[in-house]
Amino acid sequence: MTQITADRLDDIAAGAAFLATGGGGDPHLACLCAKEGLKTYGPATLIEPEDLADDAFIIAVGGVGAPTTSLELLPSVDEAARVVEAYGEIVGRRPDAIVSFEIGGANSLIPMVAAAALDIPLVNGDGMGRALPEATMMTYAIAGIAPTPAVGLDYAGNTQRFDAADVQAYEPMIREFAMTRGGMAVSAEFGMSGAELRACIVPKTVSLSAKLGRYLRTGEGNAAEREGDLRALFEGSIYGKLELLSSGLVVDYTSKVVGGYDVGQAVIESASPGSPPLNVAVKNEYLGITQGDTLIACLPDLITIVDYETGWPINAERLRFGQRVGIFRIGSPAHYTSPEGLASLSGLIASVKAA
Amino acid sequence: MRIGVDVGGTHTDAVLLDGEAIMAACKELTSADVISGVKAALKTLDEKAGGLPDLDAVMIGTSQFTNAVVERRELAKVAAIRIGLPSGRGLPPGVGWPQDIHAALGGHSFALPGGFLYDGRPLAAEDTEAMRKCVADIVAAGLSDVAISSAFSPANAEPEERLAAMIREAIPEARITLSHQVGRLGLLERENAAMLNAALKPFAARVVEAFEGALQEFGIIAPLFISQNDGTLMNAGFVRDYPALTFSSGPTNSLRGAARLTGLEEAIVVDIGGTTSDIGVLRGGFPRESNRAVDVGGVRTNFRMPDIVAVGLGGGSVVSEDGKTIGPQSVGHNLVTQALVFGGDTLTATDIVVAAGMADVGDASKVADIPREVIDNALAAMRAMLEENIRQMKPDKQPLPVVLVGGGAIIAPRDLSQASEVFIPENSGVANAIGAAIALVGGEAEIFADYREEAREAALERAKRQARGVAVRAGGEAFSLRVTEVEETPIPYMDDGLTRIRVKVVGDLAKLAKETQ
Repeated sequence: MTQITADRLDDIAAGAAFLATGGGGDPHLACLCAKEGLKTYGPATLIEPEDLADDAFIIAVGGVGAPTTSLELLPSVDEAARVVEAYGEIVGRRPDAIVSFEIGGANSLIPMVAAAALDIPLVNGDGMGRALPEATMMTYAIAGIAPTPAVGLDYAGNTQRFDAADVQAYEPMIREFAMTRGGMAVSAEFGMSGAELRACIVPKTVSLSAKLGRYLRTGEGNAAEREGDLRALFEGSIYGKLELLSSGLVVDYTSKVVGGYDVGQAVIESASPGSPPLNVAVKNEYLGITQGDTLIACLPDLITIVDYETGWPINAERLRFGQRVGIFRIGSPAHYTSPEGLASLSGLIASVKAA
Repeated sequence: MRIGVDVGGTHTDAVLLDGEAIMAACKELTSADVISGVKAALKTLDEKAGGLPDLDAVMIGTSQFTNAVVERRELAKVAAIRIGLPSGRGLPPGVGWPQDIHAALGGHSFALPGGFLYDGRPLAAEDTEAMRKCVADIVAAGLSDVAISSAFSPANAEPEERLAAMIREAIPEARITLSHQVGRLGLLERENAAMLNAALKPFAARVVEAFEGALQEFGIIAPLFISQNDGTLMNAGFVRDYPALTFSSGPTNSLRGAARLTGLEEAIVVDIGGTTSDIGVLRGGFPRESNRAVDVGGVRTNFRMPDIVAVGLGGGSVVSEDGKTIGPQSVGHNLVTQALVFGGDTLTATDIVVAAGMADVGDASKVADIPREVIDNALAAMRAMLEENIRQMKPDKQPLPVVLVGGGAIIAPRDLSQASEVFIPENSGVANAIGAAIALVGGEAEIFADYREEAREAALERAKRQARGVAVRAGGEAFSLRVTEVEETPIPYMDDGLTRIRVKVVGDLAKLAKETQ
């Protein structure tokens, strides 16, 4: 059991941005919001999955929507706690612990504010080990846990209860809720037992983010020079491996919102002379990279694009013409290399291969 | 002909240029009131040139506005109003700011309902009653400097403009900065930029007046331009409204000046002043821009800034007794009285290089008894500071030419390990004044395009045409204009994209175009 205080949030946000593989929203905003939250409500308590009783009741909390819109539609400090409270009132059960949807980006921090405000512990781990665009891709869903009853809360505090037959039916419901209410909303979903959570959580990712972020913020060197340290860090984790795949200049980036996602394509001119440009497929996150006809990186591996000079991760919505970037490939937790895990990502993988 | 002036923290430099040719150059100390330093520089130029000729333009680059923010002085109290409730509860304007600068602006933050969502629908209904109360509160607080932001104002600025009109009615003398005029998408950063700009406006009016007064004293009737952070110019009237756009113009000017002096387009530039060394990267003859949101005095903004790392090493940096520690304390512009070689009693970086025989400044006999070990320690420490930071700024492991500019360039070793070659061009001491003098005219255009109805290429061309028009109206020579930036941001309309296209072009001042060819 550890206390997370406001002064640890910069580290966690930096690590979470690296694990967000280009998605997950602007970590700065979420971090600012979480800092104000933890200053107001006091620290959040972090517990390990094994600390949970088998019959403890846990819900997953986080934001859902198109990250680009949160550049303008600001989050509110009280919204994570309000959606948990609303869940308690509407569903009639107060959780014993809260867990994150995804460690990648803003969703690593949003549940922390609810945990601090309501004095409910947060579990060290998450349901993705990165950022991914859909609820159907959470390890909770892959393990067959029902996402509903669930509650969504919009920027104005309006709530809605959702009941769906399965996660495939739920996903478009919550997505539409977010899209019709400014593009971003928070939700509480996937009520589950301690035993169920332990079986499917991607463990220790909150503490890994803190460690990774500490290194990114205090270490020195460009992407190539940092590769060794980063590799060592990931080799000792559930991800297993990391490599610097390539580096180059961003020469084109286009994106648009399609069906509630930021969908786009980045073209990176490789730093190796004579080698063809790299095409990065984006759907909120970096999904895959092709060079000529060859697929050189793809889900379920994690693809993280960084500012080459500093090794600092760059969100897809912040990609710009002329940036010099490094591309890291990180191994996937076993949750997504299993047949069920791969099946949950099959649509995304197919879209990369078709592009 | 034209004059370029750079007002730095320690020195005020000036050059008189005839086309490419430097007719006269000088370096004076920056005075506490800034303006007497500028006058001293103009006087020296006048003497050196044997009388100032008819001028086409005077360009001034000044760090006064950046310094005011960093040092938390000359800042006006600001009413900061965000139109965006009920979003952003608990995150009022000024959130995340360092306490001291938040206090310097007075901490007058207001939040009102309104603004827009990504899909163009209202975020919330505007509350006229709440707006009236907000205006009354501002009047009651005696504030006349105002920053207004609203959600998605780059796409629809009406809420900002409506509130501004109400405030002007109640406070006719109000100086109002609207966030959509100073920043791009990213509400908090844009709001921060607007707040800093608003806080600087009264100071900007005084600065411009002082500059114009100084020019008048010398009988100069040429138009006055001030450098912006992107290396382009703005006229005096524009500076009064947008002083924050001068942030980081100093490093931009020294990088541009270094490119001009050496003809290099790809290089590392180290601008060594009295207190710090600013290291930047030239790419295609222009400063590499920072990828990250840029902090100004601890406040996060989304201005486009050159990617600069500042190292606490300058000619006036104080050296420890054993020579192993350099700076960050500096004697600054008191170098000429406090350094050993000038008869003072403080061991500085300048004393070390004189003692080592690398430079001939002041009285070398005054540093003759510094132990060799101390000299070697200090030279090693100075070298390590520069090499380490140059290494981090370099785009890759390949050695690049390094250009040393600025008044403190003498303290740098000529055989830096990261450099393919080290240049100290003639007149490198006034590179930033040259950079100011050769600055270009810019034009920016922002349009919205629907790619379902207009091909992307056609829309981009439309934006470029518009930007070229702006630059020509600002005095740019049409044939010299080139596109330097293209930014596309989707402003989604539910499922299909409305895209915001921002294009920037730069070119020569038309009056001077012939001269520079």
